[in-house]
Amino acid sequence: MNAPTSVEGAAMAESEPPARDDGLSQKGAPGWTRFLLTNEFGLVTLIVIFGAVFALGTPGFSSPFNLFTLGRTMAIDIMIGFSMMVVIVTGGLNLSVGAIGVCVAIGCGWLLEVAGAPLALAIFAALALGAALGALNGVLIVRSGLHSFIITLATMSVFFGLMLFLTHANAYRQVPLEFSAFGKMRFAGYLSPLLLVSIAIGLLLAGLYRFTPLGREMLAAGAKAAAAELSGVRVGRTIVICHALSGVLAGIAAVMVVARTGAAIPQMAGNLGQDWLLPAFLGPVLGGTLLAGGRASVLGTFLGAALVSELTNGLLQFRIGEFWVQTWLGLLLLLAVLMDLARRSFLARRGV
Amino acid sequence: MTPVISRLARTDWFGPLAVIVFATIIVSAFDPSFLSPFNIQILMLAVAVNCVIAMSQMVIIAIGQMNLAVGAIGGLAAISFAGMMQIWGLPPLLAAAAALALGIVAGLANGLLISATGISAFIITLASLSIFKGANLGITRAQPFYGVPESVKAFGNTTIAGPIPWLALPAALVIAAMWYLLYRQRIGRYILAVGGNQSAAELSGISVPSAVLWAHAMSGFLAALAGVLLVARLQLGEPTIGDDWLILSFAAPVIGGAVLSGGHVSVFGTLFGVVIVAIITQALVIFRIDPFFVQVVLGLLILWAVGVNRLREVRMQRTLKRA
Amino acid sequence: MLRSESVLKMFAAAGLALAGWAAPAAAADATKVALVPGGPHPYFAAWEKAGQDAMKDFKLGAADYRVPQKWELSQQNSLLESLLSQGYNAFLVFPGDPVGSNSTVAELTENGAPVIATAGCLKEPTTALFCFGTDTGNSAYLGTKELIKAMGGKGRIVHLTGFLVDPNTQLRIDAVEKAAKETNGAVSVVQVIADIDAPEPAEEKINAYLAAHANDVDGIVTTAWVPAVVASNALRKIGDKRIKMVGIDHDEVVLKAIKDGYVNGTMLQNPYGQGYIGSYALDRIRNGCKVKAGAPFKTIALTNRFIDSGTVYADKDAVDNYVGSMQAITKKIFADFASTYLTCP
Repeated sequence: MNAPTSVEGAAMAESEPPARDDGLSQKGAPGWTRFLLTNEFGLVTLIVIFGAVFALGTPGFSSPFNLFTLGRTMAIDIMIGFSMMVVIVTGGLNLSVGAIGVCVAIGCGWLLEVAGAPLALAIFAALALGAALGALNGVLIVRSGLHSFIITLATMSVFFGLMLFLTHANAYRQVPLEFSAFGKMRFAGYLSPLLLVSIAIGLLLAGLYRFTPLGREMLAAGAKAAAAELSGVRVGRTIVICHALSGVLAGIAAVMVVARTGAAIPQMAGNLGQDWLLPAFLGPVLGGTLLAGGRASVLGTFLGAALVSELTNGLLQFRIGEFWVQTWLGLLLLLAVLMDLARRSFLARRGV
Repeated sequence: MTPVISRLARTDWFGPLAVIVFATIIVSAFDPSFLSPFNIQILMLAVAVNCVIAMSQMVIIAIGQMNLAVGAIGGLAAISFAGMMQIWGLPPLLAAAAALALGIVAGLANGLLISATGISAFIITLASLSIFKGANLGITRAQPFYGVPESVKAFGNTTIAGPIPWLALPAALVIAAMWYLLYRQRIGRYILAVGGNQSAAELSGISVPSAVLWAHAMSGFLAALAGVLLVARLQLGEPTIGDDWLILSFAAPVIGGAVLSGGHVSVFGTLFGVVIVAIITQALVIFRIDPFFVQVVLGLLILWAVGVNRLREVRMQRTLKRA
Repeated sequence: MLRSESVLKMFAAAGLALAGWAAPAAAADATKVALVPGGPHPYFAAWEKAGQDAMKDFKLGAADYRVPQKWELSQQNSLLESLLSQGYNAFLVFPGDPVGSNSTVAELTENGAPVIATAGCLKEPTTALFCFGTDTGNSAYLGTKELIKAMGGKGRIVHLTGFLVDPNTQLRIDAVEKAAKETNGAVSVVQVIADIDAPEPAEEKINAYLAAHANDVDGIVTTAWVPAVVASNALRKIGDKRIKMVGIDHDEVVLKAIKDGYVNGTMLQNPYGQGYIGSYALDRIRNGCKVKAGAPFKTIALTNRFIDSGTVYADKDAVDNYVGSMQAITKKIFADFASTYLTCP
């Protein structure tokens, strides 16, 4: 399970925005201290430590079947984390990721079962629905000038309610066998192809932020909207694109869930899709994506989500842990933001 | 005449109140049983608990933050209340006091972390939501506590006089207390001042951390109170209590004219916001409209309300500039 | 970094070796049953005792009741996956979804763990051995018949039922409708309120409905646990005993309301028997028994391999001895279970 992520380490370098304003200059603390103090290094260390604890503490954790299911859950959590990350970059957030995800899953199920669409078309159209719902969020936010929190809180209720109203909470269960077989497929006994999809999308996102003008505009719009506007970035348009992207990524996570269960079920992410909120924020925040916007760490989000899945899986293996999982995740989140704070002040002191 | 109306129209509570009157007339024209004593009792039961939930969020909105953990604190207090009565056999009043104290402690922990670290309230309360909800599940193993004494059940399910349920009493006290604290007491002014403009409040000598702590302690207390009231109403300590509070807790204050960036909330506006939501939920049942539609309506209501508030804000700024 | 990873690999290898060394010794023939409901729900509480009794009586390695944190398919799936990794090798599962659970159940059976769909069925084709539960349609049908009798053969019925995701819910809706149709119009089902198997929404919807329509309703049939409890309380609150009601299951509130005359009776199910006999069947299967070809399975909407775990109507007179009636059913099914459904070497 560690192998794929550490291979990624080299490729998915953390993307820095052109303007970073937390007072850290490149000189100052020696390079290795800075490296040891990065979020990514901390996360890898934690993943390794917990992996060792779980592997020694429970016989089941390191079994191929468990590594396979862990990778599969991880793939979905990572996508959910990405879908929040691309919005956090703009300094906003998207509470409706879960609701959009469920809408995409149900849309996909409807296209397959009722409309009889071929698989590829159904997935594509459903992802387009995700993009449209995300873009609607973006347009409402930009036009009203209100914070994305309240807008996406409202649309979370509207999207989910409309979906239930249209489907009467019916699930769609006629998913083609080759699609659900994809969810069960195993490479080398323990690797889920879903995880490869997540890795590929992570690479694309890292490329987007690092190498494309659009990605840099997203970061600039998040860091200093007014300054970006002056230098020619169409901030409103960029924010709409970010939200549409968030819708697509949430949609991919949802399609993965459909492949995994072989059915599109309205309750798959809890009421209003609320159950996705915690993984959605845990990944990016553990990964060091600032809520203030302007900075994205694709690798960090990836590792953050991986750590969360690993912890959830490992705690389930311990009998006592299963009902306390949420508490541990909450404490982890708290610990992570506090450590981030401590590291920042340490670096600032060393840097001066 | 006209100045009176325009002055009324400028208050936060007038719009929502007009909507309530209008909606009542329409719904009862279609179905007279809407105004039957039993239906009014059901409406008041729903409003009583929900308005405490809404107040719990409102006080945090007043200071310009948000509290995602309202439902989790309420749920934890609810199962502690029921659990202490069932397992330890505590008398109801003592158990309620302990549950409310737990709510205050939980709120204080939120406030302390936020003001000590400067990390956004969103992240802190997201983390504490998870911690409290996890503790709830860990303690109950997701099974309800059934051992709720008869006196508590009676409190949640009997009436004082006519259609007025006992549960309305604590809710009324909360409304009165909130109004008094926010508009007539120094702490209320401080909270609103910090919400309106933190650095200005700081310059004028207000202690921001203590205002934040007060607001979160109040929020925790109210969330716990709502949890305790729900145990009385549902007659069991159910671990899922609080799971669905998030949307409502924001919808009602916002319908009541609260400004999300802080500094401006309305106690009566929030109350009327809760009533509007209750009437709509009831109307959908009465007209046999798909219950799933409630979610859509709730979401649209929030959008409509924030839109209206925004317009009023813009217009008010213009009038101010002209004057 | 590299070093710590190789250390991890070493640990992991050591762990694997340990597990591989320990596993065959422990699991040579000890059956470890996991009883997994769809989510936390009072109905399944009897499974815990049933598992403990089965473990003692049949000398199983384990028969543990393990509950997903939430009533949600993905939570149940990850719990099942985890239990398999923990060494459980036989499963009684209430399917979180009649189709969506099939992929996970298939993974369990592919890894050598037999599965019985318990208390709710999986849609064919499935790799589960068979479905063992209340014939929910039949139970709802019989309950509605009792209600109609209590109503004097005519009137308007409201049907309150559970999660729409529950595979049983649609069967119940159809069965209540069928019983009403047989009266040739004397009885009609005026409203079905579904998805209220959690207290908060149940409280809100049932009370709101009764507030507006109590006068238009003559009878209430409930076919899920929580609505039965909430409706019992609501009728007690109204207090005039005009509206007749038949509930389901054995919650204290319902039983007390029957004794006090606010509710006419309840349809008892047999969760204890499901857990006890199910654990026994899994152990026999793991020890070489096969499901008998041509066993007298019933056919219901979802599957043609269904075994009824029994249901019985309890009114005011029978309420006090409801435990006795449940045990009696269990004993009766258990007596000839093996000879009827299994062929053993």
